[in-house]
Amino acid sequence: MNRDTEEKKSARAQVKAPGAKPGLAKLRRALPWIVMVVVALGFGLHKGFGTLSDFGWMDVSVLCPLGALGTMLASKLLVPRALISLAIVAVLILLLGRTFCGWICSVPSVAKLRRAFAKGGRTKKDAEEAAARTPKLAPGAPLTDKEKALLAQSCHEAHSSRGSRVFDSRGAVLAGALGSAAIFGFPVFCLVCPIGLTFATILLVMRAFGVGDVTVSLIVVPALLLAEVVFFRKWCHTLCPLGALMSLLGRANRTVLPTIDNEKCLETSKDRRCGACGRACEEGIDPRHPQLGAARANECTRCRACADACPAGAITFPLIARTQDEGPAPAIAAQEEAKTLPHS
Amino acid sequence: MEEDKQTTESSVDDLRAKRPNISRRSMCLGIGGAAALVALGGLKYVGSTAVVRPPGGQDEDRLVSACVRCQKCYEACPRGVIAPVHVEDGILQTRTPKMYFDNGWCDFCADENGGVPLCVEVCPTRALELPAGATAQSTIIGKAAIDTDTCLAYRLTGCRFCYDACPYEAIELDEINRPVVIADKCNGCGACESVCVSLKEGSISSGATKRAIVVEPQA
Repeated sequence: MNRDTEEKKSARAQVKAPGAKPGLAKLRRALPWIVMVVVALGFGLHKGFGTLSDFGWMDVSVLCPLGALGTMLASKLLVPRALISLAIVAVLILLLGRTFCGWICSVPSVAKLRRAFAKGGRTKKDAEEAAARTPKLAPGAPLTDKEKALLAQSCHEAHSSRGSRVFDSRGAVLAGALGSAAIFGFPVFCLVCPIGLTFATILLVMRAFGVGDVTVSLIVVPALLLAEVVFFRKWCHTLCPLGALMSLLGRANRTVLPTIDNEKCLETSKDRRCGACGRACEEGIDPRHPQLGAARANECTRCRACADACPAGAITFPLIARTQDEGPAPAIAAQEEAKTLPHS
Repeated sequence: MEEDKQTTESSVDDLRAKRPNISRRSMCLGIGGAAALVALGGLKYVGSTAVVRPPGGQDEDRLVSACVRCQKCYEACPRGVIAPVHVEDGILQTRTPKMYFDNGWCDFCADENGGVPLCVEVCPTRALELPAGATAQSTIIGKAAIDTDTCLAYRLTGCRFCYDACPYEAIELDEINRPVVIADKCNGCGACESVCVSLKEGSISSGATKRAIVVEPQA
C-alpha cells in the first residue's frame, strides 16, 4: 500500500517537475548516514576510513582543512600531510564549491533531530520559514518590464557587477577560530566542531556498549552537539567556520553550478513569472534573479532543490556552463557579486 | 491593470530591499562566535590530570597543540587500547588519545606492522610522532606502579600474572614471591595492567577503583 502511494507521489512529482531526480534526492539524504555507518564499522573492526576529520585509508587521507590550518597555526609547524590535504581540498572546492555541505556533512542530518523535539515533525520556525518562501509575487502572471530588465541582467550583465559582502558572521567565527588557535596554541575549534562531536558521540556510544566505558563525556559530548546544531538552528548559515572557508575558496568556483536553459525556463521562454528555483534554495540563492537572492552562487551546495522545484525542468548542473550570448544562460555562474545592485 | 503593475514593481523593490547585507544580527553572531572561540582558548590554563599517551605522544604540549581529535588512532589501533580521554580528566584534553590497558597492551604493532605503531603512522598532524629509529624499548609510554594495598600478591596469595605477562623482564619477584617493578626496564607497555586480576569479580581487594598494577604517565 505504502508503495502504491509513494509511486503515485513520485508520479505526481514527475508531472510537476520534469527535471526532478528523486533518486538523487534520496541519495543525498542518505549519504551522510552512510558515511556515519561506514565510520562506525571502521571503529568496530579497527579498519576503516577514519572520520570526516581525516578521511581516507590509513595514512592516505584528506585532513579537514580547518583542522589542518588550526593545527599548523597552533603548533607553528608545517605538517606535510596537512599541506597536501589543504591543496587537495582547495582543488575540490574550486571544482565543487560547497558540495560537501549538501551531500556529505553530518551536521544537517543531525540537525534534523530538531524535529524530534517538535510536535508534528516540524518546528514552528521551520513552518515560518516555509511560509516566508511561498511566492509573494503571484506566479504565472506576465512579467513586468522591470522584471524583464532583471532577467536580462542576470543572464548577460551580471558579470560586471562585482564586489560586496566579503565577510559574514561565519567569516568572523573562522577568523576567531584560527586566531584563537594561533594565540593559545591548540586547534580550538576542533574541541567544539559539530562534525567531530558527531563522530565522537558514535565512538563513545559504541565504547559504552562495547567495552563498558562509561564516562561523563557520554553526556557532555552529545549535549554540546545538540546545543550547537539543534538549538542553534542556523549553525550552517551563520556560524560554521568550515562552511565559511569553503565559501571563501568557492568564490573562484565556476563549475557544476545550477544553469538555466532559457529555452525551457518559463520566465524567459514564456514571459511568465515563476521564481520557483529561488524559493526552493535553502541557501538563499536565486538562480533566475541573482540580484534578488540573499546569497551568492559560491554558497551553492548542489542540493538540487532548485532543479527539483523547476516546473519546466530547465535547471541542470553541467560541469562547465556554456557561455551564453545566445542560448542557455549559466544563471548564476556568472552573476557572483551581482547583489550590489544599487538600492533604488 | 495599471494598478497591478504598480504593486508588483514595488514588491520587486521590497524584495531587493530585504536582501540582507550585513545585518546587525549577523554581526552580533559573528563577533559572539569569534569571542566564544577566543574564550575557549583560555581552557589552555584550566588544570588537567596527566594521562598515559600512545607512543609518540609523550610530549604533552606538542600533542595538545597538534591533535585535531580526528579519532584516527583509535580506529587504527589493532589492540583497541587507544581511546578518547574523558571529560573528567580535563576539558582541554577531552577526546585526545589515551591508553586504556583494560583488555590489551601495546607492542608497537610488532605483528601487525613490523614494530611501527599504526597510531603514529596514521596520525595526520604529527601529534603522535616518534623519532627515527625509535623502538618499543626506547619509547617510554609510562611506568608501571604497584599499589601494595590492593595487590593480591602482597596478601601472599601467590598471584604472579603481571610477572608472567611482562615482555621486558621489568618485574621481579621478591623472596616471598611479591612482584616488584624495575623502573629502568619498564616502558609502560601495559601488559601487566592488562592481566591484573585485582579488580575481577571475586577479588579480595574490595573498594579498589583501579587495578593494583597500572601504568602511570611519566612526569
